[in-house]
Amino acid sequence: MLRSAAIALALLATSALPAFAQWSYVGGNGETVMLDAVPTRIIASQDAAAGLIPLGIRPVAIYADSAVADAKALQGLDLTGIEIIGQAWGEVDIEKAAALEPDLIVAEFWPLETTWSGGADVVNALSPLAPITGPEQGASILTLIEDYEELAASLGADLAAPSIAADKAAFETALADFKAATAAKPDLTALAVWAGEDALYVAATGGASELMDFASWGLKLIDPEVADDRGYWETLSWENADKYQPDLILVDNRSAQTMETALAQPTWTLMKAAEAGQVTDWPAYWLRNYGAYASELAKLTTAINAADENLAP
Amino acid sequence: MAEAQSHHRQKAARLIAGLLMLGAALLAIAMLSLATGARAIPLETVWAALTAYDPNSTEHRIIWDLRLPRTIVGLLVGAALGLSGAVLQGATRNPLADPSILGINAGAALAVVLGVAVLGMTQLSLYVWLAFIGSGVTMLVVYSVASLGREGATPVKLALAGAAITAVLQSIINGILLTSPRTLDEVRFWQVGSLSGRDIDIVLQVAPFLAIGMVLALGSARMLDGLSMGDDVARALGQRIGLSRGLAGLAAVILAGGATAAAGPIAFVGLTVPHVARAITGPGYRWILPYSMLMAPILLLGADVIGRVIAPPGEVQVGIVTAFIGAPFFIALVRRRKLAAL
Repeated sequence: MLRSAAIALALLATSALPAFAQWSYVGGNGETVMLDAVPTRIIASQDAAAGLIPLGIRPVAIYADSAVADAKALQGLDLTGIEIIGQAWGEVDIEKAAALEPDLIVAEFWPLETTWSGGADVVNALSPLAPITGPEQGASILTLIEDYEELAASLGADLAAPSIAADKAAFETALADFKAATAAKPDLTALAVWAGEDALYVAATGGASELMDFASWGLKLIDPEVADDRGYWETLSWENADKYQPDLILVDNRSAQTMETALAQPTWTLMKAAEAGQVTDWPAYWLRNYGAYASELAKLTTAINAADENLAP
Repeated sequence: MAEAQSHHRQKAARLIAGLLMLGAALLAIAMLSLATGARAIPLETVWAALTAYDPNSTEHRIIWDLRLPRTIVGLLVGAALGLSGAVLQGATRNPLADPSILGINAGAALAVVLGVAVLGMTQLSLYVWLAFIGSGVTMLVVYSVASLGREGATPVKLALAGAAITAVLQSIINGILLTSPRTLDEVRFWQVGSLSGRDIDIVLQVAPFLAIGMVLALGSARMLDGLSMGDDVARALGQRIGLSRGLAGLAAVILAGGATAAAGPIAFVGLTVPHVARAITGPGYRWILPYSMLMAPILLLGADVIGRVIAPPGEVQVGIVTAFIGAPFFIALVRRRKLAAL
């Protein structure tokens, strides 16, 4: 009797609670965050800010993984009035964060590390101030952007606003062009790399959401034999720079230095694509909105259209 | 008398034979360095690349563009480190003296870090000059600090001044690197010490300085022998102590600064090799210096060759390998016999 009453009470409680909560969101970690009011004072990770700002949701503060000027994801976004409370990975100014009295922390959930953007230290520092939530990093940047649309809409964004619609339309056009370009060159193969003074690092498609997008849209990416346990890269001594022979090389463009380093290596041109100048940018890990995705896709499409697809044997 | 002379001659003959053997070993290790790498290239192809270069052959390009500059950098940097270590140990009469003790490495590193953090320099070819200026200025400061007071720049004061200023410089470097991850990213590779990724331009930039330093260092053997008897004896023999020490210090700065500029700070080579040389030759810088100059590149290139093959298809940087080989080697040396008081 007592037990069934308790069960009934519990059922009532779980079904009734969301009705009282004014705002709820299921985060990438599977947990639901519920608040009495729609949160307005948001602290966002650099990537979450890059996802939300173009949709009209302006955080009160951003914590970045590096100097904001070097944060590729934030480039071109209007950051006036937004406080920067972290400019190094794993670091955040907790006093500034507390003074801002945030309602919500928005970050991205990393399924492999089972933590949020910025790592455990940042999460431990920020989570006492407000609940932390956000979308999950997964197999596609496109679905990540759609997750941000859903989150932004729940926070009160007007997704039909002209600038948002224009960005989305530009992306749709760029995507159609990209698919047409890859379809027109069925033999074209590509390789995504990061170049260091010590070695050439070849990226695994499965380690980068945008590479998985490109592959699903028809780009044939060469997958390296990944030895390191994190499964992101194969490390090639510059003596072995010609282990793979793609028709098109994509170079990580988070820093312009990477391309300069690549071009300065004597054996860079052992790859026929490098010799022929069939090299373009890889927007590695940083795309979070339609506007940036559209312009990066357009660059790739131009490179694919200009490339000789039968360069490599 | 005649017996003593013939004994002397015998010893000289033995030491010359030793030098020739070291020369042969150096040649062999240089060939090994050309023949070994992350990519397997047959010996006859290596030979063909050297004798009949074919620009269309991938293997030939790897030998010429990667392994040859790397081998030359290894030879020059090794010889410079060995010589500068020996000269510094002699001039300061300190068995633990090495370029890092006198602040030369830290000075070079701070100049590079400042150049990257403040001026935004990112090219290796600019690091060369930054490192050079930094090590020279630091040595001057260390020497000036050590010269304060009545007795001038004594060995103990030099070592103390060097250690203190190294500590100051290192904390400034750490401060900059902690607050500027971008700078850390840029200098991380250089900071470990590596022979790869240094093209022939860097060799050409540094080589003239190293040549001058080598001539100065080899020419300082007699002065170092005088200093090794103690300042009073040396002065009684008519030697100008300050001048001797200044010249030797200059040679060491040029050599260590140039080596650090070209390859980044590489530890243990300058410290260890002169002790091994001294164990073979006995006291007397006329022999210690050339022995150090030939043995150090053997150690450095050997370490580099090992680093190239132990982690395929990648590589391990030579600074890490010398630390791994050098540290236990040095401990064994210290334990085996009491360090010669210099």
